[in-house]
Amino acid sequence: MPAFVEFQNVFKTYKMGEIEINAVNDVSFAINEGEFAVVVGQSGAGKTTILNILGGIDNCSKGRIFVGGREISRLRGKELAAYRRYDIGFVFQFYNLIPNLTAKENVELATQICKDSLDAENVLVDVGLGHRINNFPAQLSGGEQQRVSIARALAKKPKLLLCDEPTGALDFNTGKNILKLLQSKCREDGMTVILITHNSAITPMANRVISMRSGQVVSNTINKEPMNVEDIEW
Amino acid sequence: MKSLRKNIFREIWQTKSRFISILAIIALSIGFFSGIKSSAPSLIKTADDYFIDNNLMDFRLVSTVGFDDDDISAIEKAEDVMQVMPSYMADVITTLGNHDSVVRIHSVPESESGTPINKLNIIEGRFPQNSGECVIENSTLSYGNLNIGDTLKIQPNVGDTKTSTYLKKTEFKIVGKVESPMYITFQHGNTNVGNGTISFFAMIPAEDFAYEKYTELYVKTKASASGYSAISDDYKNMIKDETTTFENLSKDAAERFNSGTLADAKKKLADAKKEYSDKKAEAEQQLADAKKKLDDGQKEFDEKIAAAEKEIKENEQKLKDGKAELESSKKTYNEQIAAAEKKLKDGEEQLKNGKQEYQDGLDKYNKEIKAAQQKIDTANSEYQEQYNKFTYETKPQAEEKLNDAKEQLNNLDTLLTVANASLDVLKKIPEEYLTDSQKQKIKELETKIAEYQKQYDEGLAQYEAGKKQLNDGEKKLAEAKQKLDSAQKELDTKSSEGKATLDAAKDKITSAESELREGKLELQIQKLSAEAKFKDAEQEISDGEEKLAAGKTELETQKTAGQKKIDAGKSEYESGKKEAEEKLAEGEEKIKDAEDKIADIPKYKWYVYNRDDNKGYSGLGEDAERVNSVAVVFPVFFLIVAVLVCITTMTRLVEERRTEIGTLKALGYTPFSIIMKYFLYAAIAAILGSIIGSLIGIATLPRIIVQTYGILYTLPEMHLSVDYGVVLISSAVAIIATCAVAIFTCVKELKLNAATLMRPKAPKPGKRILLEKMPFIWKHINFTSKVTARNLFRYKARFLMTVIGVAGCTALIVAGFGLKASISVVAEKQFGDITKYSAVMALKESERYEKCKPLLDELSKDKNFSTILASNTSSTKAYVDSSKKQLELSCIIPQNNEDFKKLIDLRTRVNKTPVELTNKGVVVTERMSDILGVGIGDKFTMLISDEPYEVTITGITENYASNYIYMMPSYYEQITGNNIRYNTIYAQINNTNSELESSLATKWMKNDNIITISFVSDIISSVDDMLQSLNVIVLVLIICAGALATVVLYNLTNINIAERVREIATIKVLGFYNGETAAYIYRENIVLTIVGAIVGLLLGSVFTKFVVETIQMDMVMFSKENNPMSFVWGFVLTAVFSAIVNIIMYRKMKKIDMVESLKSVE
Repeated sequence: MPAFVEFQNVFKTYKMGEIEINAVNDVSFAINEGEFAVVVGQSGAGKTTILNILGGIDNCSKGRIFVGGREISRLRGKELAAYRRYDIGFVFQFYNLIPNLTAKENVELATQICKDSLDAENVLVDVGLGHRINNFPAQLSGGEQQRVSIARALAKKPKLLLCDEPTGALDFNTGKNILKLLQSKCREDGMTVILITHNSAITPMANRVISMRSGQVVSNTINKEPMNVEDIEW
Repeated sequence: MKSLRKNIFREIWQTKSRFISILAIIALSIGFFSGIKSSAPSLIKTADDYFIDNNLMDFRLVSTVGFDDDDISAIEKAEDVMQVMPSYMADVITTLGNHDSVVRIHSVPESESGTPINKLNIIEGRFPQNSGECVIENSTLSYGNLNIGDTLKIQPNVGDTKTSTYLKKTEFKIVGKVESPMYITFQHGNTNVGNGTISFFAMIPAEDFAYEKYTELYVKTKASASGYSAISDDYKNMIKDETTTFENLSKDAAERFNSGTLADAKKKLADAKKEYSDKKAEAEQQLADAKKKLDDGQKEFDEKIAAAEKEIKENEQKLKDGKAELESSKKTYNEQIAAAEKKLKDGEEQLKNGKQEYQDGLDKYNKEIKAAQQKIDTANSEYQEQYNKFTYETKPQAEEKLNDAKEQLNNLDTLLTVANASLDVLKKIPEEYLTDSQKQKIKELETKIAEYQKQYDEGLAQYEAGKKQLNDGEKKLAEAKQKLDSAQKELDTKSSEGKATLDAAKDKITSAESELREGKLELQIQKLSAEAKFKDAEQEISDGEEKLAAGKTELETQKTAGQKKIDAGKSEYESGKKEAEEKLAEGEEKIKDAEDKIADIPKYKWYVYNRDDNKGYSGLGEDAERVNSVAVVFPVFFLIVAVLVCITTMTRLVEERRTEIGTLKALGYTPFSIIMKYFLYAAIAAILGSIIGSLIGIATLPRIIVQTYGILYTLPEMHLSVDYGVVLISSAVAIIATCAVAIFTCVKELKLNAATLMRPKAPKPGKRILLEKMPFIWKHINFTSKVTARNLFRYKARFLMTVIGVAGCTALIVAGFGLKASISVVAEKQFGDITKYSAVMALKESERYEKCKPLLDELSKDKNFSTILASNTSSTKAYVDSSKKQLELSCIIPQNNEDFKKLIDLRTRVNKTPVELTNKGVVVTERMSDILGVGIGDKFTMLISDEPYEVTITGITENYASNYIYMMPSYYEQITGNNIRYNTIYAQINNTNSELESSLATKWMKNDNIITISFVSDIISSVDDMLQSLNVIVLVLIICAGALATVVLYNLTNINIAERVREIATIKVLGFYNGETAAYIYRENIVLTIVGAIVGLLLGSVFTKFVVETIQMDMVMFSKENNPMSFVWGFVLTAVFSAIVNIIMYRKMKKIDMVESLKSVE
């Protein structure tokens, strides 16, 4: 079975005056469909850049990236937007909800541009926010906001769910609940989830752990028996 | 502090678009404000400098009789007078192209020392140095074909007056082109010669004028020397005072004139009176003489007629006698003729008988002759027969016989000869030798010879006998012939005898015939001569008769002619008498007039004109004022918008730098130094903006506007005059407002503690909007609209700002177009709908209608006029309370209402219902009623011949240009008790055009009763000129409005995007295409623009009204109705500007980097 996500010698180079800095330096890895992959590394290890490139919101300088057999590193402009629209679900560290829209409307913001989407209310019920559908983000707690954010990503029925430090701004328990939600989505719905974190304590819950340092992949290990989130402590 | 300063510049660099926004909006407002505000002063200063440099007069004095040196020295001595320049002026006519133009000729301004008053600017060529040279005005509008080197030819007559009364020469060589401060517009005023309009001016040396006295004086007073602007109230007040001085001087001069010239006039009058009475006596004597002559003539005529009649009678008698004589002689003649004719008849009878006799004799004679001839002829034929028989029958036969005989004879002879010869031969032979045969033969021969001899002899005898017989026959025939000839001869004799006898008879007859013929001829001749004689006599008689008839006719003719002559003489005498009487009466009248005139002392008058009487001059002041009014209204609005823009921008800036402020605070910077940064930021933007704006504004707008007015005025290069106070104040307002905003926002932030500040400001929580509480609406709008709706109300400040900015833009455009429409309506409605007449003719004197009638009739014969109406038109003042506003206006009293309705449409503005002119009161124009605050049924006071009369308003009519009071003659007579007199004629011209008008003017100006003809088209064209200049102002407004809208929308959209960059990045990550992202933001912009535009339309309507109210003058009412097109333009142009901004912003939005935007919080 070919890999669902594949990075082949990917570079991301920034030019700072005379000096060239490789934020991503010759990265190659592969992730299979339905896997829960965790990319772990210190701040500035290049993991966010990788996620951004994979999510179609940034371009790589060199190398090829395939998602579901399609080379996305070649996409530009509108194609890239369409890729984000139909293939990717993004969960941010700071949720990035539109403050002027209610939870349901934030989800609808995503669903209204998709051809085949889930019902906003159902998704919200699914992520456990059935009772807060009509609340504005400001009226929700951090965890709830992140759930809305996840619901917004899931409602589009993406092929790939990308999460950038989803628990970074949350307390331990809330974070745990969020991770549980993500894990269950992966396990129950077969969603491919890629999560980046600096917290290596989370890694046991993943099928695959890719650790990075200074823009390079240090290791890419498969965890044959991932633990349940509930069992992990950090 | 150094790092702080660095920080400021870095800050500016980083937020350059925002900085530029503030700078631009301030530059725009300040530029617009100071530019417009400097326009009017620049216009005035340009004119003022021109007037000062060229020493424009303050007063122009014109005297009814001219000025002498006494007058001049009196004026020179007067208070305030600085300089006096005597001058000459004449309006004469020249031919330009193919029509006559009036040229006003002045003497070239000269001064012994210093600048002459009204100094000319020489544009081309030189000043006149010699007599016969001239300079003309440097303008191409009024005339085009005169150039330096050409000759200005003046026509020898100006109306009835000879040009030589004014000028010594009629040809002037053009040596230069000049500009005069007296003529700053192309309208040169009116005159009472030619077509009534001065086309251009020319200046010649004073020596070429033929006047004895100066015609005008130019006076310079302290008013202009005091440095007041020529259009300032101070100047006007001084002028007012000085006018009084000159009017007093005028009175003095009049007295001087009265004691000198007038006394002479009085003496002259006395002389004239004496002369009159002398002439009267003389005339009466002459009349008496004439009467006597006439009577004598009558008598003589009667006598002559009687004599002539007598003569005619005598001649008639004579003619009668002559006729009788003729009759009697005719009778005698007829008798004589009858006798002579009888005689002739007898002679003819005789002749006839003689002729018969002769004919008988002739017949007989012919018969006898014929018979005798016949006998002879018979004999003759017998003879001829015999002769023929003998000749052709007997004689030839005989002759033949004879010939035969002869031949026989000859033969015999031959035989004989032969025989003899043979015998001889034989005989010669001697006998001895003769042989017997020979002897025999001799024997035979001898016998034969004998026989032949015998035969021959017998034949000869026979022949001789036959010959004799023939001769006898011939003899017999000759005898018969002789007999016949003699018989013939006898007959001939007899015949000739008979013939002679007959001929004699015939001769007799012939002579008788000729005698008879002669007799007849003679009779004929006699008859003819007699008849001729009779004819002559008859002719004589008829001639006599004719003559008599002619004589009679002549007598008749002469009688009537004589009678006629006598009658003519009589009537001539009568008319002469009448004329003499009339003349005497006229003389009496004249003497009376002269007496009146002398009694009427103020007739000696100076006309005191000041600069305001110059058309262009007063217009300049009004134009400047109008520009100034606009300058007040529009830019204030700009400033408000600018301040609002600065507030939002600065607020945003400070809010964005919240973390930084917190950090600085935490680092221990004093609030003052933190505030300083934003204060300086704002101050730099505002100060730079003010400087750039005012520089650009002052450099461009006054030039544009003054140049626009340059179309109307002849002014030198613009002299910029900046109202620095206004520029400074407006800049200060902008700077202070901006800085205050900066301080205020900073202070607000600084109240929070450093820690709070360093945390990102919680985004403004979402809120339900009012609309959501109306589910029936909310449910039915789609998701994106909901988002838009909620966003709109989320940022209320921005909402307000955008709406105000856009509304301001729309309002400006609406006002610009609305203003133009309101003003153009003046021309359109006034001259299209209301004023229907084409020309106004001023009459020489006010006359009763009966006296005007001949002229009106004459005018109505001209097919070019369709309606002609006499009226009384006068300038008057109207007021409600004499101490308050007094409005100067015209009063028109039409002779009849029917024609008046065709010439001026009186109607209400709103409903267009006709307003009737009645004899119960007056109809006034709407503007007049507005200014005085009077309505229908109200009373006001108006001056008629300087007397106040209270009148009632019965109607208010739509009218735009000038103010009028209309009333019926009956009402006039009712309120004043005076009879109405008419002094103007209004005329409507069919298919009017400038050529037709020019020719009509030339034609009718020749009429003594018409002083001037003015045409409505001239007014229209001057109004059009004014509108042309307004177009530029409208354009300036639109450009500024566009700039305003662009800056406001750009700035606000920019802030909007900056504030919501995370939101935009987020939706981009969600997969929104660029177009969708733009739409997400623009939907709000579009709604805001539409709302702003709608508000702007309302505002614009109010604004237009306000501006129109502000700039409208007493003289003009601008349309108060909204012009739909200006709303359309306002909306469309606003949409266009908004679209331009959105296009610019689209690029910016596209460039938003999702990665950068999303990580900023970290």
